[in-house]
Amino acid sequence: MSDQALQEKVIEALKTVKDPDLHKDIVSLGFVKNMKVDKGNVSFDVELTTPACPVKEQLKTECQTKTQAIEGVSRVHVNMTAVVRSSQHDQPILTGVKNIIAVASGKGGVGKSTVSANLAIALKLSGASVGLMDGDIYGPSIPQMLGIPITSPKVGEENKFYPHEKYGMKVVSAAFLTKQGQPLMLRGPMLGGIIQQFLQNVEWGDLDYLVIDLPPGTGDVQLTLTQKAPLSGAIVVTTPQEVSLIDADKGVKMFQQVKVPLLGIVENMSYFICDGCDKKHYIFRSGGGKTLAENFNIPFLGEIPIIPEVAEGGDSGVPIIMSHPESPASLAYKQLAGKVAAQLSIHQAKEDKAGAAFEMAWKE
Amino acid sequence: MTETVKVDSDHPSPKNIRQIDATTLGITWTDGHESVYSVKMLREKCPCANCIDEWTGEKKIKPGMIPDSIRPKGLKSVGLYAIQIFWSDGHDTGLYPHELLRKLCQCEACKKAQLQG
Repeated sequence: MSDQALQEKVIEALKTVKDPDLHKDIVSLGFVKNMKVDKGNVSFDVELTTPACPVKEQLKTECQTKTQAIEGVSRVHVNMTAVVRSSQHDQPILTGVKNIIAVASGKGGVGKSTVSANLAIALKLSGASVGLMDGDIYGPSIPQMLGIPITSPKVGEENKFYPHEKYGMKVVSAAFLTKQGQPLMLRGPMLGGIIQQFLQNVEWGDLDYLVIDLPPGTGDVQLTLTQKAPLSGAIVVTTPQEVSLIDADKGVKMFQQVKVPLLGIVENMSYFICDGCDKKHYIFRSGGGKTLAENFNIPFLGEIPIIPEVAEGGDSGVPIIMSHPESPASLAYKQLAGKVAAQLSIHQAKEDKAGAAFEMAWKE
Repeated sequence: MTETVKVDSDHPSPKNIRQIDATTLGITWTDGHESVYSVKMLREKCPCANCIDEWTGEKKIKPGMIPDSIRPKGLKSVGLYAIQIFWSDGHDTGLYPHELLRKLCQCEACKKAQLQG
């Protein structure tokens, strides 16, 4: 068989490989690239929409098996790559940022910052370029969690300033704008101003994902962000308790009202694993986050266990995903990153999207 | 993994926004609906805190207060959920959420439904 004919057969076979999230085959999605066929040796790239793709290995195996099964194919080499797609927006800020993810909760103390930090690092570890914005102006905790000493940011031209860097991520926090231990005392309207600075005056550069750790609630910071930042999606963090779920419910409704796509709900502190056995002890209640997600018909992104190393990681400046990469919590964070990235890809693949940002002048 | 709910099916968004004539705004929605609006009506229905008292809900704009000569000077999207209109009388604090715009639609079908409702 000629190389040409063989290539056509390979493509036919790959048309039966479906992306489980986007519900289309990988050929129609344009993932298959650089195919070379040389006397039975077949090689090609599969370019996914995110390096954090949760089914990367599964897709690779399927491509390999299906190609190998074709008569005349002697060797197969599948190279998995990823180029993160950009959520379309044409607002004049954050132009180099492909996806902006807001991490929110209704209630304080549910572990939003811990989730944000570990989620950002998990995305980074998958190979993406990542930024983390600490949107909690009154109680910034990201620098502490990542072990970044409080120093003033490096100033650039035209009022711009540069993010701090840690674990290969770019990090911005209001903590860097004050002296260590000093409270930042501001009235509401100033909050919006600081957030706008974070969006407009920070040299974020090119990022695949910008994770924004929001303060709790549904106030000034949330409104400014939804009005000024081209958010790609939001995730809502809750704990299993009813008091937290009630507020998470409000958080979800807030994003619905301002039409920010909901990527899903994460339940933090879901269960405890003691050092004696692997059993999951649901010490609070179980299933609340999942039920909440079902009620709103949005994805449930998973349960994060409560284990002492998570808290230690937050205090020592080495998040658990770096210090104990194989712990149940770290694995849960990696899964979370995969699901969040997959949800973003799903939203971008939707055809019936609303018009982009617009501005028009009225003619007399 | 479950597909996320198509928010658009319950909450349509504008796909295209345009000026139809000197006093009419047109919106095509993601669900295909075609809306038309008299700009004077939009000014009268401004939802901002200056025009509708935040505490009492009292409408500060009385019938006849807005001149027929009112025109938008410009329009701009706000986030993913609303449109801001800058008016020829200098007023610009009104953010019109998509949901409100959909309710205010003055196409023949919607006018009929509003009369019956």
